[in-house]
Amino acid sequence: MDDSLDTWFAREILVHEESLVRYLARSWPKPDEVHDLRQDIYVRVYESALRARPAAPKAFLFTTARNLMTDRVRRGRIVSIEATGDIDALNLLVDEASPERRTGARQELQRMAHAFDSLPPKCREVVWLRRVEELSTRDTADRMGVNHGTIEKHLARGMELLANFLFGGMQGRSAPTKPPEDESKQREYEHGQQ
Amino acid sequence: MDSNNDSEKTAAVWLARRVGEGWTDADESSFNEWLQASTRNRVAFIRVNAAWQEAGRLKALGAGLPSGTVPGTGEWQLTPFFDAASTAAAASDASPVRPTADASGSGQSAPAARRSRAPRWQAMAACALLSVLTIGWFLWPAGPSYHTPVGGVARVPIADGSNVTLNTDSRIRIVLSDTERHVDIERGEAFFEVAKDATRPFVVSAGNKRVIAVGTKFSVRREGDDVHVVVTEGRVRVEDNRAASAPPTQLAAGNVATASPAGVLVQQKPLPEAEEYLSWRSGYLVFRDRALAEAVTEFNRYNTRQLVIGDPSLATLRIGGNFRATNVDGFARLLEQGYPVRIERRDDVLSIEPEAH
Repeated sequence: MDDSLDTWFAREILVHEESLVRYLARSWPKPDEVHDLRQDIYVRVYESALRARPAAPKAFLFTTARNLMTDRVRRGRIVSIEATGDIDALNLLVDEASPERRTGARQELQRMAHAFDSLPPKCREVVWLRRVEELSTRDTADRMGVNHGTIEKHLARGMELLANFLFGGMQGRSAPTKPPEDESKQREYEHGQQ
Repeated sequence: MDSNNDSEKTAAVWLARRVGEGWTDADESSFNEWLQASTRNRVAFIRVNAAWQEAGRLKALGAGLPSGTVPGTGEWQLTPFFDAASTAAAASDASPVRPTADASGSGQSAPAARRSRAPRWQAMAACALLSVLTIGWFLWPAGPSYHTPVGGVARVPIADGSNVTLNTDSRIRIVLSDTERHVDIERGEAFFEVAKDATRPFVVSAGNKRVIAVGTKFSVRREGDDVHVVVTEGRVRVEDNRAASAPPTQLAAGNVATASPAGVLVQQKPLPEAEEYLSWRSGYLVFRDRALAEAVTEFNRYNTRQLVIGDPSLATLRIGGNFRATNVDGFARLLEQGYPVRIERRDDVLSIEPEAH
């Protein structure tokens, strides 16, 4: 339980998620594994930072990513010419990863607005009422004419997507980590609440 | 709570409960138990919690709005925080493949420029209007257009809740009215996830063909006079503008159709195979036992460096696999490794030649 480590992780590692996901999508031939790969990379980085925080977090993140992919290829979880070919070529690609820090509060705000706009309408409304207007779950439920549990579900889904859009950027939005199957689940789930 | 193995989903569920009322000590201790069960859980929670903290910034955007009003999608430009120029900057910042520019600038910044001149009271009133009317007002008369460069893929949310994903080198124009949602494909290919709205059909026109849906998922690609349609969910109807007497063609999920001036050819495929036609959405091309000539044509859509088949005998080589659409060099390298061919590289052309004996 180290809150300062958690803060460090959000500030120094999560901000690179868009580049990281783009890098993984480009390097890893199985798009549906990128989501899982990213989480494994975070685990390695976090556990290593528990022992000692790396001096150059971004470089450390990408090195960890490359090592993890190489390990997976070696372990034969995937055998593909494309994968090995691409990973060899990857040393060059790391530094090309996009400049992620936007210059200032206004752009941060725009990024947030774009991410927020990408939410499905119900989730968007719940996030707004709960976070911005700071209505209680119960008041939000009353206003929207649905039950308490539905509000929590929309909020959970909304925050999950918002984290993806916010940290993953457009990559998070169009990422193959959300296969169509997931969207139809979402529809069913919205359906079930009518 | 862990019935779903995805830590990030579970973390979001915890967050939603934890920030609500009625969170008990018992909840807190089972939450801590979950948090400590694995680093994966811990990291997932840090991430969603950071998003929650960040979302507090939205308060700056809510200032001045009457309470209980959720601003409409894309209406942020109404606030003093954004002007047209910075919106365009943010758009290019958000992603290298964000749709950009007609002559007038970005498809989004053009209406934004109109909006930023509107007085503030008007802006506020607009928030209260039905979004249908609002959009009609902002986008009138022509509607925004979006395009992608060669090799680009971009997802464009539409105000009705639908989404369009543009493939490489494509251009579309979107016009919403209260009777119809209309997208004109001027060039290229787009995939549509249509929000259900029985009162406003979703119409995609491509040259002389119209593809009509109510709520479904499908792609439309324009290639010369031909229009290719792939349906992955629901049903759509294909009509010809000129031959009003010709009966419309109904397509269902799994249908892959080519509409030419002569008529419509429909193939029924297993759904996973139909979806392979749409793998471009994640930046990949999937080939299953395809002729080299077809694969080359596909690659050339995504790259300015063009593949050329130097000898007709090679056109019928069969190939398969997943490839990154923009990695034409990687593809060429694999061809050299796996087939009796060599690649001649000159300027922007990669010529596939038979191996010298």
